[in-house]
Amino acid sequence: MISDAPVLQQTSDPAEGAAAPSRLSRYGRPLLGLLLPLALALGWEFVVWLGWSNGRLVPPPSRVLATIAELARSGELVRHIAATLWRVGLGFAFGVVAGTLLGAISGYWSLARRLLDPTVQALRAIPSLAWVPLFILWLGIFETSKIALIAVGVFFPVYLGVMGAILSVDRKVVEVGRTFRLSGFAMIRRILLPAVLPAYVVSLRVGLGLGWMFVVAAELIGASEGLGYLLLDGQQLGKPAQILAAIVIFAILGKLTDWLIELAAAPFLRWQDAFGRAKGA
Amino acid sequence: MLALDRVSKTYPNGVQALARFSAEIRQGEIIAIIGGSGCGKSTLLRAIAGLDRASSGTVTLDEEAIASPHAKIGIIFQEPRLLPWLSVADNIGFGLADLPATERRGKVARALERVGLTEKAQAWPRELSGGQAQRVAIARALVPQPEVLLLDEPFSALDAFTRRDLQDHLLDLWADTRPTLILVTHDVDEAVVLADRVLVMRPRPGRLFDQIEINLGRPRDRNSPLFENFKRSVLTSLDRSLDRSVPDRDATQGPGQAMWW
Repeated sequence: MISDAPVLQQTSDPAEGAAAPSRLSRYGRPLLGLLLPLALALGWEFVVWLGWSNGRLVPPPSRVLATIAELARSGELVRHIAATLWRVGLGFAFGVVAGTLLGAISGYWSLARRLLDPTVQALRAIPSLAWVPLFILWLGIFETSKIALIAVGVFFPVYLGVMGAILSVDRKVVEVGRTFRLSGFAMIRRILLPAVLPAYVVSLRVGLGLGWMFVVAAELIGASEGLGYLLLDGQQLGKPAQILAAIVIFAILGKLTDWLIELAAAPFLRWQDAFGRAKGA
Repeated sequence: MLALDRVSKTYPNGVQALARFSAEIRQGEIIAIIGGSGCGKSTLLRAIAGLDRASSGTVTLDEEAIASPHAKIGIIFQEPRLLPWLSVADNIGFGLADLPATERRGKVARALERVGLTEKAQAWPRELSGGQAQRVAIARALVPQPEVLLLDEPFSALDAFTRRDLQDHLLDLWADTRPTLILVTHDVDEAVVLADRVLVMRPRPGRLFDQIEINLGRPRDRNSPLFENFKRSVLTSLDRSLDRSVPDRDATQGPGQAMWW
């Protein structure tokens, strides 16, 4: 008799609770993630407003926003964002093209893999920033060396991603292509490309992340414009609000470009039976 | 006619999977190949499909030697092997890429209707049950109208009820165009339900051991005494192929049995 009651309660609980989390997950979950940073920002704003801290080294959000607004008004912001975006875009494009081509060749053709892959792996082991002095000597201090550095950063994850994806294509699916007598180009277009696409998109996103990392390094080394220049300028002139403003813009641009890749790939990946998708995240 | 002439296969590691397998299979005949594990059933099927080359011997379909996948030969594997990035309809139409779109759509629509999955046309493969997925695989293989359809343990991953449904369904589809069916199985029941002729193979190295004609009309009643008799004779042959003693061999080859042997 006594043991019956809790069992009954247990069975009714999940059914009742099911409606509430589904509503929470649709609207509440993204907002939930904003709760902590917003609370911290508002808290810090309040602390400075009360005068408990002068906020000189860690400026309150209002001052960071004011800096961004000021930069935007003077037209500086657009110039810096455009310079950085141009570098990342160009470096990303070169890195992706090279990484995709070489990755595809090494993945598809085992002789090329044996010839090429050890060298690429050895180069990968070099910390990419070690190239900076050489690139500056070879390509000059201006745009070319910066774009080359970003391209190197993007190249490796894309190369590895493409090669790995091709190598791990299910033999059974390739056999389906063979039974329908697909050859060469048709096999690539109808079987291999769609099969490697999910892993390819992931490697593009990783590559883009590295591109953003390397643009900062490139612009810190010597630039007269760009978000990295804003960082350096802020440090040298003691303007922490400007540094934070540049960091916030980096975060926004990084997230935005990543989201663009995701958005562009989404129509081609609707078929995926992924864990994240199943949960509606 | 499909002719197998002394087909042998030795793998690079020295294992002889298939030794001088010969058989002649009439157009429209249903053959079941049965045997213990390692008897080379799948190797034989892959050689007929042109997926693996035989080390020696020849496979010829209507006087034409088969060394690579052929338009007249379709194959269904143990797993459905649907392409996950194509809808059910596009999977079925996969082998019809050369046809004009309208003709392809018509054939796919008819095939979908024939396997009872019209409402699933736009679904992704991941949304199908195991039995539905295998029905799509059957439709994909049949829609280019092959003369020979090879089936490599096609129903072994399915539960008993679904398996029965699909066996009946396969016969139903077969009756449309009557392709030659060559079915590898290790389910005696399946072999006797489907086949005109059961080939029993013997392992190490794989070779033909015995042939049993199933002289039963269709549809076959799985519970009839005649059906039981055929099953028993296939089982007996299978036991002998594995050099197992058959203690009640006299009992199984009673008077009723002898009549149908």
